[in-house]
Amino acid sequence: MATVTLQNICKSYDKRDVVHDVSLTIEDREFMVLVGPSGCGKSTTLRMVAGLEDITAGQLVIDGVDVTHAAPQKRDIAMVFQSYALYPHMTAYRNMAFGLMKTTKLSKAEIDSRIHEAAEILNINDLLDRRPKELSGGERQRVAIGRALVRQPKVFLFDEPLSNLDAKLRNRMRGELKRLHRELGLTVIYVTHDQIEAMTLGTRVAMMSKGRLQQVGAPMDIYMHPANTFVATFIGSPEMGLIPCKANGTGMLSHTAFQAGIDMGQAGLPDDLILGVRAEEVSLTQGIGMARGRVERTELIGAEALLEVAVGDERITVRGAVAGAPEPGTEVGLDFDLSRVRLFHGKTGHAIDLQVDLQD
Amino acid sequence: MSHRFATVWRKEVFLAYALLLPSLIFLAAFTYWPILRSFWFSLHDVALGDPRIFWLGAENYLRLLDDGLFWKVLGNTAFYTLTTIPLSIIVALLLAVAMDSKLRGMAIYRSAFFYPVMIPSVAAGMVWVFLYAPGYGPINEALNFLGLPRLDWLYDSKWALPAIILMSIWKYSGYFMLILLAALKLVPSDLYEAARLDGVGPVSRLLHITVPLISPTLYFVIVIGLLHSYQIFDYVYVMTQGGPADSTNVLTFYIYQNGFQYQDIGYASTIANTLLIFVLGLIGLVALTLGRRVHYMGER
Repeated sequence: MATVTLQNICKSYDKRDVVHDVSLTIEDREFMVLVGPSGCGKSTTLRMVAGLEDITAGQLVIDGVDVTHAAPQKRDIAMVFQSYALYPHMTAYRNMAFGLMKTTKLSKAEIDSRIHEAAEILNINDLLDRRPKELSGGERQRVAIGRALVRQPKVFLFDEPLSNLDAKLRNRMRGELKRLHRELGLTVIYVTHDQIEAMTLGTRVAMMSKGRLQQVGAPMDIYMHPANTFVATFIGSPEMGLIPCKANGTGMLSHTAFQAGIDMGQAGLPDDLILGVRAEEVSLTQGIGMARGRVERTELIGAEALLEVAVGDERITVRGAVAGAPEPGTEVGLDFDLSRVRLFHGKTGHAIDLQVDLQD
Repeated sequence: MSHRFATVWRKEVFLAYALLLPSLIFLAAFTYWPILRSFWFSLHDVALGDPRIFWLGAENYLRLLDDGLFWKVLGNTAFYTLTTIPLSIIVALLLAVAMDSKLRGMAIYRSAFFYPVMIPSVAAGMVWVFLYAPGYGPINEALNFLGLPRLDWLYDSKWALPAIILMSIWKYSGYFMLILLAALKLVPSDLYEAARLDGVGPVSRLLHITVPLISPTLYFVIVIGLLHSYQIFDYVYVMTQGGPADSTNVLTFYIYQNGFQYQDIGYASTIANTLLIFVLGLIGLVALTLGRRVHYMGER
C-alpha cells in the first residue's frame, strides 16, 4: 500500500478551470472521501489520479514516485466505476482475469487462486461463470470490486460506486466497503456526492466546491467545525440552519427575532455575521425562549420529529419529540445550545472562532 | 368481452394486411415472379427475342457442370469476395477507430473517406481506368517514382482482378466505415478506460473489447458485403469487359454475356439460379459460424 500526494493540482479545459490548486495527502491505509455537489471537480480530480485525465499543473506522487505524467497502467492503481464498466461479453471470471492475463506474467493457477480469493471475500463464488447481464446491480458491483482486488494495486479509486444501487442495497454495500477497507488494509480514494457516504465511510473527508478544496478532516471534525457556510450546509442531515445577524459596536448580535450578547474579547469582528445552528442544538421551550419562531412544516420520521421553524425570514430545522409535535402555524419559543452554535463571516462565509453568549 | 376483443383483433389484422398489400404486390411482381420465371427458363431452351421455348429438363444444369469457363468465373467471383470483404472491413474498422478519436478535423476526414461511396460506380470505374493506364496512369507513375516496375494492370491477366479488388476496397471501405463508426460510438467509453487502467494495450483493446462489442454490426457488414460482392457488374463492364482472357469475368457478368450477348436466356437463368443458391448457402454458412459468435449488448 502507499501514500498518495497531490501537490497544487490544477485542471483546465480550453482555459476553463475545473480544478484549482488542490493539495491533499492520502496516507497509507486511509479511506479518503472526496465529496461535493456535482460539477465540483471531485471526479476530475480522481480521474487525474487515475491517469485518465492529464494534469494541467501540479504534481502527483504515489508511493514516493512522481507519476504526474505516467500512463494509467504505470501508476499501480485500480478503479471501480459508477457504471461498473464490466466487459459485457465476458463472464465475471474473465472480467477479473482479463487485465491480469494481458499485463502480468502470473501463471494461470496464480490468477485462478487470486480470483477465487477475491470471490471468497466478496461472496461471489457462485457467480463467476455468469455474464454481467445475468447479474443484479449489487452483484455487478461486487464483480467490479473483485476486478480491482485481484490486481492488488497500491491504491483503490472509487468513482461514485454506489449511486446506481437502490437505497437498501447502497446501505449494505456501504457496510461491505467499510469491512473490506478494515480487513484488507486498503488505501482508498472514494468520490461521492452523498454526504452520508462521506460521513460513514471516510477516515477523512475532503470537501470540494467549484474546483477548490473547502476543508479536509475527520468526518466528525468537519461536522462539528465546518470551515465555512458551504461545508456547514452540505455536511449533515438535516442541514445546518443559517441566520444572518448584525453585530453592533456594543457587542450585541441583533436579529429581528432575537438579540444576543457577544464576548468582544476579539477585535475585528465584522458587522455582518451568520449564526449557524444544527437541528440538535436548538430545542423548543414552553416559555418565551431565547428567540421566537413559527413552525412551518412538521416531518415525523419515526423516532423523532423534524420541525422547520421560521425565525424572522430564515428557516432552521429543530429536532423534537413525535408526541406533542406542534402543528404548522404554531408560535414556539426556541432555546439555543450556546456551547455549540457557530458564527460565520457575513460576506465571505468563513467560520469565526468565537464564543457566543446569547441572551433573550 | 372476449367476443368484442376477437372482433377488434380481426380488424387490426385486416388493417395490417391492407397496409402490407401494396408492397407485397410489388415484391411479388418484381422479385418473386422473376425468380420463379427464371427457374422456369432454366429448364428450357429460350433465346432472346424468340417467343418459342423448348423443354430441356436438367440439361442446362448438366451443361453448367461441364462448362470450364463457368468454374473459372465462379473461382474469380469467390476470390473477389474472399479478398474484398475481409480487406475492406479491416480497412473500414481501422478507419472507424481512427475517426472515433476526438481529434480535430475528423469530420473532414470522415467525409473524405466516405466520398468514394457517393461517386456513381460507372464514373468511378472510368476514373480508375485512367489511374491504372499503363502509359500515363498516376499509379504507374507512382510505382516508377518508387523505383518499382510499371504494370499493365487491367491488361494483364495476373493483375486485372487484383486491380478491381483494390478499387472495390477504395469504393466500399467508406460505407462500412460509417456503419462501424456508428457502432463504435455505442461502446461505453469507460470500458476502454477500465482496460487502460488494467494496462491492456491498444491492439488488445481492439481485438478483445472493440471487436466483440461491435460484432453484431460486423456481422451485418459481412452479410451486406457478401451480397454486394456477388452483384459486382458495373466495374467489370466498364473497366475490363471480363478480360483479359476472362481473368475478371464474374458470375453477374457471365450471366449478362450469356443472356444478352449470346442471347441464351435459358442458360443465363441457369447460372443466375445457381448464383442465388450459392449466395444463400454462403450466407447460411456465415450465419452458422460467425452468427453464433455475435455478442449482443444490453438485454437479450
